[in-house]
Amino acid sequence: MNRAELDANLIAAHEAGNKPRLVALYTQAADLAEADGDIDACCFYLTHAYVFALASGAAEAGALHVRLLAHGREE
Amino acid sequence: MTIHASDLAAVMQPVSNARGLPNQFYTDPAVFEEEKKRVFFRNWAALGFISDAPGPGDAKPLTFLGQPLVMIRDKDGTLRVFQNICRHRGMILVDKAGKIERAIRCPYHSWCYELDGRLRTTPHVGGPGTNRHDAIKRDELGLFEVRSHTWLGMVFINLDGTAPAFEEYAATAIARYADFDRPLYKCGDEGTFTMEVKGNWKLAIENGAESYHLPWIHPGLNSYSRLEDHYHLDIGDPFCGQGTTVYNPMLTDGGRRFPAFSSQDPKWATGAEYPMFFPNVMIGLQNDHTYGFIVVPEGHDRSVEHVQIFYTDPKVAGEEWREMRETNARTWRSVFDEDIFVVEGMQRGRHASMFDGGKFSPVMDNPTHDFHAWIARQMTV
Repeated sequence: MNRAELDANLIAAHEAGNKPRLVALYTQAADLAEADGDIDACCFYLTHAYVFALASGAAEAGALHVRLLAHGREE
Repeated sequence: MTIHASDLAAVMQPVSNARGLPNQFYTDPAVFEEEKKRVFFRNWAALGFISDAPGPGDAKPLTFLGQPLVMIRDKDGTLRVFQNICRHRGMILVDKAGKIERAIRCPYHSWCYELDGRLRTTPHVGGPGTNRHDAIKRDELGLFEVRSHTWLGMVFINLDGTAPAFEEYAATAIARYADFDRPLYKCGDEGTFTMEVKGNWKLAIENGAESYHLPWIHPGLNSYSRLEDHYHLDIGDPFCGQGTTVYNPMLTDGGRRFPAFSSQDPKWATGAEYPMFFPNVMIGLQNDHTYGFIVVPEGHDRSVEHVQIFYTDPKVAGEEWREMRETNARTWRSVFDEDIFVVEGMQRGRHASMFDGGKFSPVMDNPTHDFHAWIARQMTV
């Protein structure tokens, strides 16, 4: 999935209020940014994935929190 | 607004000589504003029912005397009440009843709170992708919790935090009604209803407190719950009310009745009591079901009455009990409906400039006088 497809899918997931999908897509966006070496962007996307994981009770919240902690962006 | 004790001296006289509360306690918005602080926020007011948030993660937003509140049950089953606002910008957090899976997310900037009110995360608060900042101390920024206590299926709150502990505030009644202080079950939706009334909130409590009106307003009760079977409850503040020595549980043609509480004092086999818990709830206590009748003021001349019937056994939720539940709810609803015209009539009557608060019967109006005197004590300096 390229960046344009990812953005389109994110918009669709927001419109649908599909939180599990938002967690997955924002995590993908974070992974792409991390691969590009853009840690600020990575943590921006990780934050969104983490928030929607918390709000939906998704199991991914723990791992996302650990990644943010590792970058010094969370408590 | 300052009201001195001398202004209400007539209200605090013994019942034989007393007058009722003056008209402005029913017609003046300024008095109502003062009542919010002195009567409702300082004491333990009834907010709602445990069945409003029955399961883990259930949340119900409520507006109570203008205060945005939310009732939330956490994953361990603990029910709490919070001010329904984010600590960041004061945005309303929960706008409709429902289940919260894990965290309460503010719909504005997505600050997230645990179900117990702790602040969990503050997205981008230190800049994009940085969710922490030294100035944002999460342990100081949890949701504002309102003191709350559950009793007899109802949720009580003390908004200003200054009331004695609930166990102290309601000690005499907690002891008197210990036989009812056990798990209660909502059982179906028939026993949940609300009534909007064009009357000051106190009038509903005053009416429920006394049995004097029963044969006139509820003639259907005369056949099995006669006036002479009733007595006043004299259990001290913050209670008044009435009881009856004759309670006839509802039976079907086949003789079936709702299951009664086990191991109760024998007096409850034939009697029932209807205490008013000041300021705003009437409680019905019978050996096979109870109810809460919560009066929520919507202004000085409007109120909403919220009723919830509870049963003693969860099996009453079954389909085989539905017809009896419907009959029981219909019966209570008709009694409460019969009271509305007197509440609304007294509200209109309170605009009569010559009315002096009214003259009590020294024999029949004692509970109403008890309530008026309590209000007078709350409102005076």
